[in-house]
Amino acid sequence: MTAKIKYVATTLATLLFLGGFSLWAMLRPADEFSDTERRPLKQFPELSVQTLLEGSFMEFFEGYTLDQFPMRESFRTIKALVADKVFLRGDNNGIFEEDGYLSKLDYPLNEESVTHAAERFKYVYDRFLAGKDVNTYLAVIPDKNYFLAEENGYPSIDYDALYEAIYEKTPFLTPIELRGQVKLSDFYKTDTHLRQESLLPTASALLTGMGGKADAKYEKVTLSTPFYGVYHGQSALDPAPDVLSYLTSDALKECKVFDYQNNKEISVYELSKAEGKDPYEVFLGGPLSLVTIENSNADTDKELVVFRDSFGSAIVPLLAEDYAKITLVDIRYLHPLLLGSSIQFESQDVLFLYSTSVLNNSETIK
Amino acid sequence: MLFSGIPFLFYFLPCVLLLYFLSPKKLKNTVLLITSLVFYGWGEPKFLILMIASILIGYGSGLLIEAFSKKKKEKLAKTTLIFNVSVNLAFLGLFKYADFFIENFNAATGLSRPLLGLALPIGISFYTFQMLSYTVDVYRKTVPAQKNLIDLAAYISMFPQLIAGPIVRYADVEKQLKKRTHSFESFSCGMRRFIMGLGKKVLIANVLGELCDKFYVTQDPSVLFSWIYALAYCLHVYFDFSGYSDMAIGLGKMFGFSFMENFNYPFISKSATEFWRRWHISLGSWFRDYVYIPMGGNRVKLLRHLFNIFTVWLLTGFWHGAAWNFMIWGIYFAVLLILEKQLLLKFLDRSRVLSRVYLLFAVSISFVIFGAVDMTQAGNRIADMLGMGNLPLISAETLYQLRSFGLVLVLAILGATPLPKKIFNRLSQTQFMKNALVVLEPVGLVALLTVVTAYLVDGSFNPFLYFRF
Repeated sequence: MTAKIKYVATTLATLLFLGGFSLWAMLRPADEFSDTERRPLKQFPELSVQTLLEGSFMEFFEGYTLDQFPMRESFRTIKALVADKVFLRGDNNGIFEEDGYLSKLDYPLNEESVTHAAERFKYVYDRFLAGKDVNTYLAVIPDKNYFLAEENGYPSIDYDALYEAIYEKTPFLTPIELRGQVKLSDFYKTDTHLRQESLLPTASALLTGMGGKADAKYEKVTLSTPFYGVYHGQSALDPAPDVLSYLTSDALKECKVFDYQNNKEISVYELSKAEGKDPYEVFLGGPLSLVTIENSNADTDKELVVFRDSFGSAIVPLLAEDYAKITLVDIRYLHPLLLGSSIQFESQDVLFLYSTSVLNNSETIK
Repeated sequence: MLFSGIPFLFYFLPCVLLLYFLSPKKLKNTVLLITSLVFYGWGEPKFLILMIASILIGYGSGLLIEAFSKKKKEKLAKTTLIFNVSVNLAFLGLFKYADFFIENFNAATGLSRPLLGLALPIGISFYTFQMLSYTVDVYRKTVPAQKNLIDLAAYISMFPQLIAGPIVRYADVEKQLKKRTHSFESFSCGMRRFIMGLGKKVLIANVLGELCDKFYVTQDPSVLFSWIYALAYCLHVYFDFSGYSDMAIGLGKMFGFSFMENFNYPFISKSATEFWRRWHISLGSWFRDYVYIPMGGNRVKLLRHLFNIFTVWLLTGFWHGAAWNFMIWGIYFAVLLILEKQLLLKFLDRSRVLSRVYLLFAVSISFVIFGAVDMTQAGNRIADMLGMGNLPLISAETLYQLRSFGLVLVLAILGATPLPKKIFNRLSQTQFMKNALVVLEPVGLVALLTVVTAYLVDGSFNPFLYFRF
């Protein structure tokens, strides 16, 4: 009798699970976007005789069912918890947590990638800068794993080798050393980037390295909206959000910022983006290919061109008071060939400002 | 469609169960056939024609062989059998082996004949062997020819075992095709077996697959990492394939069929001979009954016996894939089996520890060969394991991967032994546990399903290893 009850209970429980989620998955309306992963979710694929015969319907249907599964985020959390607490995995999909900081495994050193980045910098130098009255610099920002990975037993890039390689391959750029200016606590806990309020030593090192002075004073403003960094959603573990602050001053408030990608004037801090999908876009509007900052209150008429990645968005505003004009170029989104019509390279400081993580994964640099 | 995929678990399977159990008895095989064709066509719509052709030829051949046999026209029956075997092997040869032969022909002659570049139809090795066993058994009069085309087609195409086995013999399910019983007991036991297999595949095999992937791309190799890889790959293949077999057997049980067991804790074996009695049992017994014994088996002179063993194991290796490393893998086992029969077994029988160490070492090496792209890679990996690859004993990444995958490896090692089952069986003998299991079993299975679903939802493409065979 006990056995019979067990058979019935097992049958009903498992069928209820499979059937219940089956019905729910079939009947629920599709979501369009995953906030935690910051990407659009796959929609029901086109159903036709052709897509069935080609097999493309089946291929896309699989992705659709994964993306649109009921309680998807909760299931992702269950998976992360089981991997972490039951199987004691060191990372979950490459994301690991140490000392309250989330990061993503990135190893080993990709020498080809570093060479690619150096070659693209050389291309820019040869085409626009060689023989011109410009001062050229290279500053490499250590990423979070520089502080977190090796020390805690995670596989790590050989950072010394990376720095040595990029310096060696770009002899036409004067290096400005930033490794001593950054520490782990300067990073957001849930994001890859550095907190702007901790970047003053970095900005100071850059300004003095380029022959300027670093004496600007800033006021710290903290936003009330929580900042869920890029690793927050990827970890699926719902850690506490970060706080997002920015540094401002009267001079910065009066700076004119122009976004050439969208052909419109923007602000140094685009506060409306704090409510958006990536609040880090507050800093200079996020990933834009070509932006200028004009400071009519600057003591000098010096100009600076910064070739940069996303770390530059938070750092460059802290350089603005020392320059009359700063041009930020992201050659991951804009081919350098197009620069000739936008920028006159003459009598400027030119800074290549990149993080180690982008140098180690530089395939997007054009 | 993969058993360990959301489309199968939450779309296909619930619909099939509903249709199957709502349909009247006489239509159940038709439902199984239609849904199996949908299952197969889902991944390979164009190869449905090939499978249907194989079924029709097999059906016709079976009837003809029986008719000729009844009329004592043995020659015609044999000719029909040869025709059927030839056609099926031709399909298999064309799609699976043609390019291998062309490549080697080109290499040997210096010519450059173009490759056919045909895609491998999923499960062709499995359903071809089932069809061969059916017609041979009809010819041998072990089973009568199936008169009902739907029943035969349902047997060949039955989705639980269609694409990765076990290789179910027609003789084993002939009666069940006509008459089978459905009950809560068989359904719940089948469901439990299916979910356990799903757990083995998703939570163990896939995770060990991740570890193997780390090994493939590491730039920080070490001798220890090479050994960890060898161990992880053995267990990965075992949990992947035995997990699939569990799912197939479980699904079969849910529909009232009883398929043969395919694995019996192979890693506790004390010799390669025993290992192959416990590993992919349906394939081993197929080659024994349809190749080895017809060739004379061991009831022949020594040289002929050795030739028989070599032939069977060369074919076993070749069945797994059209590449030299699979053939060498097969020959490797042939050599081991011969050495054991002639010499080693006497010594191995004396020490359980020594025999198990020997078996695990031999099997680890065999799977390094099995998992390599070519023999150069296999050779390099074995050299690395033996410390001849100029690698450090240990590296930082090795330590991290060991830490990150250590518990899964330990669980996999334990799960590859009968220990968990023994403990469970002993515990469930008591009346208290019998009562507790009324609640614990369904709750445990739903919890396991939840975790598996979580892993699937979090992951993406999730292929089964044995699909390529």
